Amino acid sequence: MNKVRAKEYQVRIDHALATPKLQEALHKFGDAFLLAREKAFSQYDFEALRLAIADCKDEVAAHRQQYLEQFIANAEAAGATVYQAKTAADANTYIAELAKSRGVKLAVKSKSMASEETHLNNALKGAGVEALETDLGEWIIQLAGQRPSHMVMPAIHMFKEEVAELFSKVTGSEEPAEIEHLVQVAREQLRQGYLDADMGITGANIAVAETGGIALITNEGNARLVSTLPKIHVALLGVEKIVPTLEDAATIIRTLPKNATGQLLTSYVTWIRGAVPCGDGDKELHLVLLDNGRSALAESPQCRDALRCIKCGACANVCPVYQTVGGHVFGHVYIGAIGIILTAFFHGLDKAAEIVRACIGCRACVTVCPSNIDLENIILSLRETIGHEEGIGLGKSIVFRKVMRNRKLFHSLIRAASMLQKPVTGGQRTIRHLPLFFSSLTEWRTLPAVAEKSLRDQWQKIPQKIEKPRFKVALFGGCANDFLYPELGIDLIKVMNKLDVEVSYPLDQNCCGVPALYSGDKETAVALAEQNIAAMLKDDPDFVLTTCPTCTMALQRDFVEFLKDNPVWAARAEHLAEITVDAAGFIVNQLGAAEVFKGEAVPEKVTYHDSCHLKRGAGVWKEPRELLTTSGLDLVEMEHADRCCGFGGSYSLTSHPDISKQILGDKIRDIEKSGATCVAMDCPGCMLQLRGGLEKQEKDIRVKHTIELLAEALK
Amino acid sequence: MQEERLVAVFSESARAVGSEVSIVADVEAVVDYVKQLTTCLVMVPDFASAKRLDLVSALKASGVALVQEDLRQGAATAAVGVTGANFAFAATGTVVLESTREDIRLATTLPEHHVVLLDPAKILEDDLAAVPHLRSFHQNSPRNYLAYITGPSRTADIERVLTIGVHGPKQLHILLFTGLSNDPLEM
Repeated sequence: MNKVRAKEYQVRIDHALATPKLQEALHKFGDAFLLAREKAFSQYDFEALRLAIADCKDEVAAHRQQYLEQFIANAEAAGATVYQAKTAADANTYIAELAKSRGVKLAVKSKSMASEETHLNNALKGAGVEALETDLGEWIIQLAGQRPSHMVMPAIHMFKEEVAELFSKVTGSEEPAEIEHLVQVAREQLRQGYLDADMGITGANIAVAETGGIALITNEGNARLVSTLPKIHVALLGVEKIVPTLEDAATIIRTLPKNATGQLLTSYVTWIRGAVPCGDGDKELHLVLLDNGRSALAESPQCRDALRCIKCGACANVCPVYQTVGGHVFGHVYIGAIGIILTAFFHGLDKAAEIVRACIGCRACVTVCPSNIDLENIILSLRETIGHEEGIGLGKSIVFRKVMRNRKLFHSLIRAASMLQKPVTGGQRTIRHLPLFFSSLTEWRTLPAVAEKSLRDQWQKIPQKIEKPRFKVALFGGCANDFLYPELGIDLIKVMNKLDVEVSYPLDQNCCGVPALYSGDKETAVALAEQNIAAMLKDDPDFVLTTCPTCTMALQRDFVEFLKDNPVWAARAEHLAEITVDAAGFIVNQLGAAEVFKGEAVPEKVTYHDSCHLKRGAGVWKEPRELLTTSGLDLVEMEHADRCCGFGGSYSLTSHPDISKQILGDKIRDIEKSGATCVAMDCPGCMLQLRGGLEKQEKDIRVKHTIELLAEALK
Repeated sequence: MQEERLVAVFSESARAVGSEVSIVADVEAVVDYVKQLTTCLVMVPDFASAKRLDLVSALKASGVALVQEDLRQGAATAAVGVTGANFAFAATGTVVLESTREDIRLATTLPEHHVVLLDPAKILEDDLAAVPHLRSFHQNSPRNYLAYITGPSRTADIERVLTIGVHGPKQLHILLFTGLSNDPLEM
């Protein structure tokens, strides 16, 4: 942990949170984006497209040298000069030297994230060359002396009044803050630049090995001018842009605009191969192929999928954290979820260390990624790396390594806590205020008290009367179900018994390990995985049920991944994954028993909140809705039902409580707007967050687990 | 039937992104269209179907001032650029221009209006159907500058508000002209 860096980071967060106008704009944009995107893909199979892009990029990654050589040979045969830049400095030096040697005074640029990555403009300035950004957004931030806050819309954080002020300084007259007028000002001001410039600098969206050409996907038309008018054209592009064939390029072109801006296609797609005619002669074309950490990324088995990225920016658009703090906080040069990963490899782990923690883990980005990158998983593995490099902090280290791995110690400490908390709970189930330096934790959300008697401590006394059980299942309670909400476990027994299912509670089960994993302590997470596999499989249950989707992900996915190379545990981890299923999904899919609850509930207007890991991890979202409506509840959908509630475990408690609070605020507004008197969900973490928020705001809306509502219906 | 369907889809998609789509019967109609757009300078680069139509003579004869000598300066002051299209695809309303010759690029980037003559027989289904032709261009010539053009120049860089005509043409006019050319490799 680097204290100075962490402090600077917190200042940036505070600054962003103090700018509600930005948040409002990014929220609106996120909504509009999803609608436009859905419409754009309505005639296309997004899943098939993204698998094709992933396959194509993986093929190139697996045979990097071969495709690189093919691309270079074809480009050179067409008259291009190719330079392979190992580092950002190499690329900058090459371009600056080239400019100097050709007597270039002015270089016009179209948008290139690679040139942002290398800070090319500074290098050109050092060589006495003026770089003029011509992409409208890039020009605005160049005038403002800022960096992009979005990969596709670099000036998304600015408002027309600010733009008018910047443009007025350029023209020397008062420019009105009208968008159409401002665009016209840019057109006029930049036009002469193209004609005067001696060098044009572009990026590239795609490089085609088959032809040795590049493709530029743009809207404004400036890249066409930049690549046409000046005598010299320099294209700076990352080596990961190479694809094998024109068909592969077509797949990317078919997907990128739809996923970036919701356009079927951008105004221009420009295919350039070789030194094309320019004035009386031929153009001088230089292709600068940038590595700058990409080879290292390709060599990292945990992270390499990030090289599939086609830079659409969608992962930021849908990210609740990005919508709350913007790209100047949640990014370095590259922003959003992919930005975290690219920053670590292109700009160094130190530059990524804070934003690695900023991901709340909701997987909204994974759903929309056009390259099928599991961004959350890669971010978790980077957290682990940083945990190794910098440590995870002494407090966490003691909790995870010394306490959690020792189940008996861990659980007796929780029992002790249930006694010690009495002064602050006053015997109530929730904590409304905490004293001293803990006070901020309960300013915007009450916290649940640790239950007087945990689920495990009362299990033996809960009667189960089933003559001939259909199935014997073991409940994996998870910490929240066990120690905060034991009544949920009791309700589960009631519901399962009604369905002729007998439930056991293996007492050796421990925390699922996700809190340790999210904090970068994989070693503890693996140790807990082994304990839990042994505990849950001990009595050979037919199924293992979960009531917490984060635990579900651990049992279904993480344990298998951790132990896949361990001959003692691999097969058992696989078996546990196969029989693990969340409770609502179990009732609908395994038992086909939704009808059992038909009309049993007292009608009430209920809205459903999709928990991130249930919908986007386990793929369960229809099932709880089916159970609720079948039981006779009146289900009304809220807006953004599957947007994160802001909990994220330690995210809301220690790492980013201020961001968590904002995201919770969004969710509460959506719940209220639905008009429901009860919000249902299938995650104790979300219950903690939403109960806490609604209670603090004194809203009369019940927060219930689907299983609790089913148990109510049976009363 | 197939052509009719493609023309309908193409026209709808092109209009949806702000292109003007019209049907013209002969070279006189093209001249009239251009004259309606401007009384200023017009640039007509050299392309096969214009030659066959003798478009330049027809424009001159009706008094249209054409860019002749210094093409770069001329294009920068011209109000209209007129080109053909090699082919088009319907799904997105896109015209494809083999723009390796610099005059084609100048005429389609600098003037405020870009008029495209397109034979409806050359409208393909979509971007994937275009790939074999792309490959032919690459095989037939050692250097290429190929352009997919879908509507006028646009931006949403200020407050995400769609605004037309930031750097390239502010209007794209597509004139459907039957019998112009049925060769996708020719403009």
